[in-house]
Amino acid sequence: MAPTTRNNVSPFLDHGARTKAHSLAILQLSRDNLQPVYLQPPTGGQDGYAEGAVVNTRYGSFPHSTMLNVPWGSQIRASKVDTGSRGRKRKRDSADNPTPGNEATGASEKEVEDSAPAANEDDTVALKQAVADTSGFIHVLPPTPEVWTQSLPHRTQVVYTPDYSYILHRIRARPGSHIIEAGAGSGSFTHASVRAVYNGYPAGGERRGKVFSFEFHEQRYHKMKQELADHGLDGIVQLSHRDVYHGGFLVDGKSPEAESVFLDLPAPWEALPLLSRRKPQSPNDPASENDQAEWVSPLNPRKSAYICTFSPCIEQVTKTVSAMRRLGWVDIDMVEIANRKLHTSRERVGLNLNFDRGVNNSPRDVEEALTRLAEIETRFREHTGKPRGEEEEDEDMDSAGEDAAAAKKSRVAAPNGVIVPAEQQASSGTAPWMEGRLITRGEPEIKTHTSYLVFAILPREWTAEDEAAAAARYPCGKEQGVIGAVDKAARKRERREQLAKQQSNRKARRKERDEKMGEAAV
Amino acid sequence: MHSLIRPNAWVALKLPSGSTKVLQITPNTTISLGKYGIFPANLIIGRPYHFTFELVDKLPDESFSRLRVVPTTELYAEVFADEAAPGCSTPAGGADDTVIAATDGVEFSLVDDNGNVIARSNREIIDDNARQTLTQDEIEELKREGNNAGKDVIAKLLLSHTALDQKTSFSLAKYKLLKSKKYMRRFQVLPIDVANFAQWQLEERDSSKIMDLRAEMLGLVGCWGNVHFGGDKLLLEDPKATTDNGEDACVPLQEDLLRGRWLVVDDTCGLLVAALAERMGVLYPEEEVAQEGKTEGQNESTTEKPSTGTVNTKGADVSRGPLDETAQDDVDTEMGDAPTSSATPKTDKKPKSTKPRASDFAIPYSQTNTITVLHGASQPNLSLLNYWGFDNTSPNHPPHPLLNHLLTLSWLQLLKPELDTSYSTPPLTASPEELAAWKPSRRGNFHRKRRRYARIRHIVDTTRAGNFAGLVCASTMDPISIVRHALPLLAGGAPVAIYSPTVEPLAALADCFSVPRRTAWTSGSVPEIADISFEDLEHWAGNERFPLNPTLLQGVSIQTSRARRWQVLPGRTHPLMTERGGADGFVFTAWRAKPAEGKVAAKGKFKRRKVESEAPAAAAEV
Repeated sequence: MAPTTRNNVSPFLDHGARTKAHSLAILQLSRDNLQPVYLQPPTGGQDGYAEGAVVNTRYGSFPHSTMLNVPWGSQIRASKVDTGSRGRKRKRDSADNPTPGNEATGASEKEVEDSAPAANEDDTVALKQAVADTSGFIHVLPPTPEVWTQSLPHRTQVVYTPDYSYILHRIRARPGSHIIEAGAGSGSFTHASVRAVYNGYPAGGERRGKVFSFEFHEQRYHKMKQELADHGLDGIVQLSHRDVYHGGFLVDGKSPEAESVFLDLPAPWEALPLLSRRKPQSPNDPASENDQAEWVSPLNPRKSAYICTFSPCIEQVTKTVSAMRRLGWVDIDMVEIANRKLHTSRERVGLNLNFDRGVNNSPRDVEEALTRLAEIETRFREHTGKPRGEEEEDEDMDSAGEDAAAAKKSRVAAPNGVIVPAEQQASSGTAPWMEGRLITRGEPEIKTHTSYLVFAILPREWTAEDEAAAAARYPCGKEQGVIGAVDKAARKRERREQLAKQQSNRKARRKERDEKMGEAAV
Repeated sequence: MHSLIRPNAWVALKLPSGSTKVLQITPNTTISLGKYGIFPANLIIGRPYHFTFELVDKLPDESFSRLRVVPTTELYAEVFADEAAPGCSTPAGGADDTVIAATDGVEFSLVDDNGNVIARSNREIIDDNARQTLTQDEIEELKREGNNAGKDVIAKLLLSHTALDQKTSFSLAKYKLLKSKKYMRRFQVLPIDVANFAQWQLEERDSSKIMDLRAEMLGLVGCWGNVHFGGDKLLLEDPKATTDNGEDACVPLQEDLLRGRWLVVDDTCGLLVAALAERMGVLYPEEEVAQEGKTEGQNESTTEKPSTGTVNTKGADVSRGPLDETAQDDVDTEMGDAPTSSATPKTDKKPKSTKPRASDFAIPYSQTNTITVLHGASQPNLSLLNYWGFDNTSPNHPPHPLLNHLLTLSWLQLLKPELDTSYSTPPLTASPEELAAWKPSRRGNFHRKRRRYARIRHIVDTTRAGNFAGLVCASTMDPISIVRHALPLLAGGAPVAIYSPTVEPLAALADCFSVPRRTAWTSGSVPEIADISFEDLEHWAGNERFPLNPTLLQGVSIQTSRARRWQVLPGRTHPLMTERGGADGFVFTAWRAKPAEGKVAAKGKFKRRKVESEAPAAAAEV
């Protein structure tokens, strides 16, 4: 194994090759249906299941034992699990039990009121081996912030991947960064940001990437705390239960020294003054010099700080931006992200395609329409051309309809019919999944607005002493050469100097050679 | 990184016109901003990023313009004035057609008088040029005098405009903005990180060079590829191979040490690699990291061996491993690669002085946290990495984290290594006596070839061993062909993120994993795969009906994202009128699945479809 000091590295950061007990796994039931599960080790029956803990889905039942110690991404077959008799009060026919193995459970339930004895039985008896079902499967995926965001228990509005991926890119969340996140909410941004800043768990005194998260709501805080512990993120996410408008962003009185900030708060402008480099001056309480000395900025004093605020309403944005301008933030930029998912499918249009779901049985092109119309017309003419004196008008119409139907039938039935495409298709044996035109189409419902993202940068402090030191270190006045936009005159001058230099070199060399020649001659 | 502007750093200078200039700040030079003026480079070296500087007038006794940091109160003066104006809901200032960042309002002393002009109807708006009384020559004269960072010019222009009082407040503000863009002598210094660089390359340089990779896409690809720091640097033990040892002395493959590795196909000249390296913490040179107090285990060692400037030997993190006591970084060995180097001969058997030199077969690459780049040409094109101080063509490279974390190999070396000369030719051997008899240049060549052999062999073997943590692509090649060969190399559950500027290639790829195709494949009724063993299906070569094994990816999805920018000004907040068009950019995402062996049926009513897959169309009845 690789030398890691911790053996409980978060599955979000290093999930290993195989699934492990007590670890988070994400079950993919269908394309967009993901379900988080903490895999239980096989210790006797649970909840009355003979196989231990079981996940029941509409795609079948999946005992945890079948999902343990398998490679990530494995396809798991459903198992035959007796879900019916569990917890039922009597009334169960043992003949109904699909597998013989379940008879014992079923029988025991007949005698006793609930399933507790069944569990007792399992404690002593070995765990029941899961039996594969004939159909149904799921995939077991390793947890990543993306799948977690899709499957997490919602507590608040979730910051989805299109937003957080852009935000983390813009606020320069990199390995080793410290991030302040206010409004942990459901934790989707927390998980994404911890992955971005992670560069090892802290061991010893050195600085490592870390997320400083603040949550105001007590219940959410406790749930989040539990979640972080379950996910092995304890040392790299510092969660605090606090109202940041008043409590500020310091942790244990110390500065988080953050260089990136993400505010998902209803009123970011109230928290912004606390993210200054110096003590913010409130109008009714002019800051004294003493206060100034004691006040600690939560920002990294050596770097520019990048911020993003996340607000759904434009009024919030206006206030936030106004506050940012007054507090000295620069490069203020507001964007909103529009994300679209595209579904690919095969669009099948044609008269001679089978009547499958999603097939449009109308002519595929003008030629096909033309062929069909001409055919109908021919048959109609044949029909009317027949000597039929005594037939009435309406009967005529009826039989015409019949004829059309007959024509259709014959067309489909006869392989050597007039319709060329059908023949081609049959001969080439096109698979049904390759028929039709490949198209992309947006998902039926799109998120047109998530929130407005306001980005800004707060440069570091720069005092007169700093400037003096820099000026002493890099003195001016010894400039040689010009870089950047060189105007025509300067370019010409440069060229002239270069040429002159070359020429003088050449002259010098010639002179040297001449001298040598002269020496040789002498 | 990026706390202060360092000497010789690449920076972006943002000019009032909105354009950006990317420069390497050489000390003791003069930086020219074209019409905005010139100033000595030393005035910004050692200063922080993101400040807005203004070129102040030359002092009488100095030959250059000094700079002044413009306080933000001055930058936002106009906005503040607007906000202070009573009833700021009505437009009182200017209507910008650019972003708020670019407005950088300028305060003119005389504007206060004109600012109070009652807004007039648009009917009275007149052509700007017609009413400007200053001639071009006079303007040129003013510019030459160039006082007060261009503010004087603008003020004079405004004053000599005869119809200024007839302008609406919107047009007045527009006129002011236009003039300040032209004459204000200000600039802002931004760091060259991936976000800034990509923005500049996309909007001002050649966007086709980076396949129109926008910031949204960089974020999405990185996140969906789950690219992150993949473990502390871990180097293999030096095999201490002597010069008469052949290939048997190479370090054996240790698959269980390999982790946190990403497979990358990059046709964006290295921008994608840079973005991923940034996410993995291996883009920015170490000394900067050290300066920031970050410890990646490399800092301690640099002090131990300052002479050669190697990146790592016994960093704190690495020494945990049982193998690392003697693990050697061989950046220094690479330095000896130059054929004329006189340092080469003394190596190998006798470690000289305190610092033993690594043997030829020592592997300079970390086993963890690496990027493996597959390239279609014989050499990878990663030219944009030069902006971060990395040049993959340089044989004699100064220390850079990418040296240990970037592995490159061609598709030929991956798929048919036996055809690749440098992989399949066994290494040269020579006894120490022979070696001593050679000329230094021949000895240098000998060592260089042996080192190259060991490195290529290591790269090819570890890549072919697979188990990559993810696949990230931005390539002009057909994604189906990439995925076909890359999928077997991915670990189970590993994410796949493929960028394409257009949707069509990705749609074709997604179609290979369509539900009907997958159901047909797993139904067990496809004749062409009937005789193939389950293991071989992972390496399915593809045919027309099944270009890829459709069971190898799960959760196939295509998405696109676009950031819409807004201007936020008091009373004038709205989305920008125009933005960059062109390629939208799409990202294909999925996860590598490990299909169950044998026939797998889904629960539900899909029976009918399965029948169809075998007996096509003809069976339909009316």
